[in-house]
Amino acid sequence: MIEAHDLSRTYGGFTAVDGVSFSVEEGEIVGILGPNGAGKTTTIRMITGFLPPTGGRVTVAGRDLLREPRRARREIGYLPENVALYPEMRVREYLAYRGRLEGLSRGDVKGAVAEAVESALLAPVADQVIGTLSKGYRQRVGLAAAILHHPRVLVLDEPTVGLDPRQIIAIRELIRDLGGRRTLLLSTHILPEVELLCDRVLIIDEGRIVAQGTPAELARASRGRRRLRVALKERPEDAEGALAALPGIAEVRETTGLDDGGSRFLLELEEEAAPGDGDPREAVFHAAVEAGWTLVELAEEATSLEDVFVRLTTRDAAAEAGEEARPGPATPATPDAADAFDTAEPGEEPS
Amino acid sequence: MSAVRATFGRELRAYFLSPLAWVVLFFFLLVNGGVFAVIISYLSDPQYGGGRPFDVLFNSFPFWLLLLFWVPVITMRLVAEERKSGSIEVLMTAPVSEGQVVAGKYLAALVFYAFLWAPTLVYAALVDHWSDLDWGTLAAGYLGVVLIGGLFLAMGVFASALARHQIVAAVIALALELAVFFTGLVSALVQNPAAREVLDHVSVIDHMNEFSRGVVDTRRLVFYLTATLLFLFAASRTLEDRKWR
Repeated sequence: MIEAHDLSRTYGGFTAVDGVSFSVEEGEIVGILGPNGAGKTTTIRMITGFLPPTGGRVTVAGRDLLREPRRARREIGYLPENVALYPEMRVREYLAYRGRLEGLSRGDVKGAVAEAVESALLAPVADQVIGTLSKGYRQRVGLAAAILHHPRVLVLDEPTVGLDPRQIIAIRELIRDLGGRRTLLLSTHILPEVELLCDRVLIIDEGRIVAQGTPAELARASRGRRRLRVALKERPEDAEGALAALPGIAEVRETTGLDDGGSRFLLELEEEAAPGDGDPREAVFHAAVEAGWTLVELAEEATSLEDVFVRLTTRDAAAEAGEEARPGPATPATPDAADAFDTAEPGEEPS
Repeated sequence: MSAVRATFGRELRAYFLSPLAWVVLFFFLLVNGGVFAVIISYLSDPQYGGGRPFDVLFNSFPFWLLLLFWVPVITMRLVAEERKSGSIEVLMTAPVSEGQVVAGKYLAALVFYAFLWAPTLVYAALVDHWSDLDWGTLAAGYLGVVLIGGLFLAMGVFASALARHQIVAAVIALALELAVFFTGLVSALVQNPAAREVLDHVSVIDHMNEFSRGVVDTRRLVFYLTATLLFLFAASRTLEDRKWR
């Protein structure tokens, strides 16, 4: 449904997107993931025909965006990153205007607007002036406008950015509903969103695709060292050393937590457990009992898309590992980046 | 065609929903009404022996002041605002061409401009009531108002496509208008007869003088229509070109 061949885009001397190729099948929901400034929006703008690529080409539903721009654009519903509406118009008026722009006839517009108002749950504000709407409602107006003309392809650029958690949930539900019937390309830097919504993920960094696959595939590819999270009720001085000495533990890092008088550690496990080491969790438990520590938390951290993402898009870690392009043996993410993601709320911009 | 109509409808609605439009209309009528009252009292003074009030109005200093300064205010937001707010992204990813967008916006500006002038027809009715008025001459005068204003509006649309900020767009539009305005004025200072003739062809003041006296010269029609189309074409190419930056 969407085919991008070797897409590139430079602004002056700066290369924003550098040889990106991918395809999206009909009915698929694909997420483009990347840190801010990675080239997501530029890629999306080339797919929707807002920006002509400086190299490569895009076809949507078989139509080349440079050769048949208007036919190709007709197949696309687009929600830009910054949903700019006309504040002086009423919701219904605005939607009707967008419908007319998409080439719907006067007769069809009315039905299409009513349908879009209903599916975007805009009924309570349909006759309100857009300037008075909350950000969440504006986002929904943008979505309603994007689906108005029944496009076969829907392109959403950061659809939940800047919304409060309740609005995020509402928009995600809406997107999931839409996804069932359409091909959907979605850009975001919010990881749970991708895991929740997408069949497939493209991770973009510095204008290149650094990994792609289903969320599960990516997580599997990066699964290297397992990690244990340990929290103690007290703060024993020798805990770090004692934990590091346990069989099967490669590295211990003290992490900061709530200042509740306790202590927290992240244990990196050996890549291949030596025979007879047993379950490192048991070792941790027994060590705690012997030393008289109160173990309040002991859990294995699952490798999530977050780890993949952080690892692939954290410059230092990638450079240390000497590989940038493919998921390979896992390298630990820098502590800063890992912590930033541990605490990132949905909707917040990870630093 | 439906894209032109959609843009036209939206822009026209935006004009009448924005406070700026009413401010423009208010001052336009205030100045025009004041000037017209002065003209009438001047012309009805037996000492000066009468004359055609619209002829005087269309050749007056305030008339040019309004035209030169108000037109950029009408057009400045047309494209610049969309670019600034980002709504241009939605507009240019819809299945419409740059030319259609420019046409819709230009027509809306032209209709709003005509709306500014419409109330002055009341003066015409009053003049006709108390004295007599040659409606044919008056029509030629209004044709001049629309043609010259139409060219200035096209320059304004072009300027708005060029600039990201509305104020910058207004300044560029004013500069373009003044360039044309002064080119015509300069002709009196030029010695070379060939150059002088060329300059006379772009002299908006002379043209307005002709129109207000009821002279409709086809060369003027061709000049204004082609120049207007040229600037609209330039606006549409500018809009297209902006994508490549």
